[in-house]
Amino acid sequence: MNKDRLTTLSFFLSPMIVMVLLFYLVPLVMTVYISFTQMRNWNVSKYLTEFVGFYNYHRLFYMFQHDPTFKAVLLTTVVFVAITLVINVFGGLTLALATFFIDERPASAFRLLWLLPRMSPIAVYSLVWYYFFHGSEIGTLNSILMKLGVISQPIPWGQIVPWGAWSIIIFVNGLVGVSFGMIVFTSALNQIPKELVIAARVDGASSWQISRRILIPMVKWHFMYVLTWQFLSLLTTYPHLFLLVQWDLVNGDYGTTLALYVFNTAFGMGEQDQGLAAAAAVLLSIIGIIGGFVTLKVLQFEKMMKRPRGDF
Amino acid sequence: MKMKSIWIVALVFLGAIASGCISGGGGTQTSSATVQLTGDFTKDAVSIGKVLEQKGINEVKFSAWGSGDPNSVMRVYGIVEAARRINRIWQKNGVKVKIVVTETHYVASFQDAYKEYLSKQPLGQAGDFFVNSYAFLPTLADEGYILDITDYAKAYQSVINDFYPSLIDASKFKGRLYGLPQDTEARPLYIRKDVAAKIGFNLNGLDEKVKNGEFTWSDVYYWAKKAKESGAAEWGLIHRKGSAHPDLIQFIFAFGGKLYDPNTGKLVVDVPAVYKWLYVEWKFARDGLLPEDIMSWDWAKQIHPTIVEGKTLFDIGGTWYWTEWQTKQYYHGRGLKPEEVKKWFYYTLFPAGEKGDKPVTLSQPFVWMINSKAGQQNPKYDELKNIYHELAFLMLIKASDPDINAIHSVISAHLPVRKEAAKLIKDEKWLNDLKNLNLDLDPTVKDNIKDIVKATVNPINAQFLANVSYMLEYTHLAPAHPKYPALADIFKEAVDKVLRNEMTPKDAVDYIIQKVKADPELAKNVEITGEIPKNWKFPQQ
Repeated sequence: MNKDRLTTLSFFLSPMIVMVLLFYLVPLVMTVYISFTQMRNWNVSKYLTEFVGFYNYHRLFYMFQHDPTFKAVLLTTVVFVAITLVINVFGGLTLALATFFIDERPASAFRLLWLLPRMSPIAVYSLVWYYFFHGSEIGTLNSILMKLGVISQPIPWGQIVPWGAWSIIIFVNGLVGVSFGMIVFTSALNQIPKELVIAARVDGASSWQISRRILIPMVKWHFMYVLTWQFLSLLTTYPHLFLLVQWDLVNGDYGTTLALYVFNTAFGMGEQDQGLAAAAAVLLSIIGIIGGFVTLKVLQFEKMMKRPRGDF
Repeated sequence: MKMKSIWIVALVFLGAIASGCISGGGGTQTSSATVQLTGDFTKDAVSIGKVLEQKGINEVKFSAWGSGDPNSVMRVYGIVEAARRINRIWQKNGVKVKIVVTETHYVASFQDAYKEYLSKQPLGQAGDFFVNSYAFLPTLADEGYILDITDYAKAYQSVINDFYPSLIDASKFKGRLYGLPQDTEARPLYIRKDVAAKIGFNLNGLDEKVKNGEFTWSDVYYWAKKAKESGAAEWGLIHRKGSAHPDLIQFIFAFGGKLYDPNTGKLVVDVPAVYKWLYVEWKFARDGLLPEDIMSWDWAKQIHPTIVEGKTLFDIGGTWYWTEWQTKQYYHGRGLKPEEVKKWFYYTLFPAGEKGDKPVTLSQPFVWMINSKAGQQNPKYDELKNIYHELAFLMLIKASDPDINAIHSVISAHLPVRKEAAKLIKDEKWLNDLKNLNLDLDPTVKDNIKDIVKATVNPINAQFLANVSYMLEYTHLAPAHPKYPALADIFKEAVDKVLRNEMTPKDAVDYIIQKVKADPELAKNVEITGEIPKNWKFPQQ
């Protein structure tokens, strides 16, 4: 590569490189660094140079091994990520396809409706579901079912383990995440030349056939992107879960995923243990990296990144 | 290779900048002016004011952070009033300096307030005054986040001596004083009088029987069962929920157990006492006397309405309930009248667990603390740091004036921390003046407390405070140990599991031990003592 080309490349790439450095690489390096220190209570000047080696990692693994609720946490993580991921990805795709075939104005209104969960402040949105699923007669769902005579006693939905608790956390997060896929897929579908759809229609293809034979194959790469992104996002998400568990709506053991467990371990029990939190964050990152890599491999990401076969 | 080196250097450089931003820089050390405090408040305030004036400072800015129930706003407005009183001293003595309280930050959750302070103090963004539970004081003192006021307080020993000694002890860490008590409380067992009358439960002289340990938790069970079975009440007992509210650990003390060993400085899981506590919870829930899902109950829609609407015979609550029931709309969409609270609720100490044990109550004093960076938003901070700190200390002394403390006590139903304040709340004329807000107070303060005053100031509430003051003689404090919140979380989970019958009391004790041992840091800080008692029965005959 000659010098001119390198200068040009550096010029155009520098804003992105600086951003990646500042917001991705530096925090990553700092997180790894802090995980080897005794940092707590945000006291940087006191603890930043107090190295404890692998103690924080050892402590975490010890807790994983001996905490009687940890198995429930692991199981919850697997079930929560797997089912919510399916809902988010396929729900988003379904919504995008459904709105693809209707007029733009009602389609936009419909999509906007699905964006509401994401636009609402987390506390407000969680509060809505807190009152909806509340396990006593003050819960909206219980109240409706009791008025209809379906049940005579309120059902503590979130305390029925494991599936009651799982259903609520999956439902609440599923609604939030589905809009992301919907937007990506909608924009992808809108890029598909209309002629293909019109031609198929002329040939007598139904909406289902158009979707299956034309639209879905053409949004394959977007599908992969949404799947990978949502997988990583679900693995690390905890704000809604935190509130639902904190408010005792759902059972603590089966409403807690690994990300929330890490948060509670590091910050939720009085002490603000940043060293331990950093170690846990490194572990979560490793799981995320492995998971992301596997997803990309399975979906053959490298094929998408191949150079086009034509001249350029 | 060269490119690689450049990248590494750039990375280290960026890391250094980022960590520098977090630590906020150390600043250079310069010698700071100081005033020798004498104990004569006016003289000290004027001396400090003159130093500030000489250095060209005509305005000193401070901020006050507080938290708690809606009626406890004097936790921040006490500072505003203190500023006004010092300003007036300066004005009278020709000192042309003024204190301005720029921010009164008041939030409901004291844990959230603590977390916010903890994360913002190192960045220099936390309040200059911080009032919170004494339980957080050791951590804040240990990290150097709050000011050691021991030396300043020496000059004001007469004021310090007027505080109840146990509360001053609660404001210390490793023998040094880090704050002044702001309020405290007791946690009575409330008994609904009309429900008691329906089941023939004679309350006359009950508080004496409780004091003597004659009325125990077995008796509570007996009457709770009677209330439920006779249909006089839907529930026998209601209690609070969550781990942040330490009410339930009263059971440990009531069964003669302990939570902290001062000799080792460790927390204690006192197995026999914890087992008995969990057994009582389990038994009440199994017999339908206590809702098994109480830990998920909603405060405003379930817990308080159930109590004020007379659906339970007993309730483990706090002294602040007394006015909270009057100011919040828990009773069929309205607050209770003071006469109704008096008519419906009897109160006594938390009874002894069993014969031979003692009754207890629990306090969690709130303490006014000074940020170790107090005054840093003002000019010439490095030069005048000591002066700003001394001024902040004088503001705490002023904010602890008996009348300010008494106002807070009456309107929030917390107990006074000073003997002089305790006398004041019994003074009918003063109470009348408070009711009419005919007191010398800052207009901002008056404006902010007028609705609360209107709803809460009356002889009934003042009498209540006077009546419950004796409970402080029986009080225990939750351990001021950095690891206590973690242990409290585990206790809460165990209580929830026995209430829901997911675990037997024995399984729950094992669960607690297992959870404690699972975290090496917690295990290092917690002693597990004793064994599950054999052949122990509840209720006892």
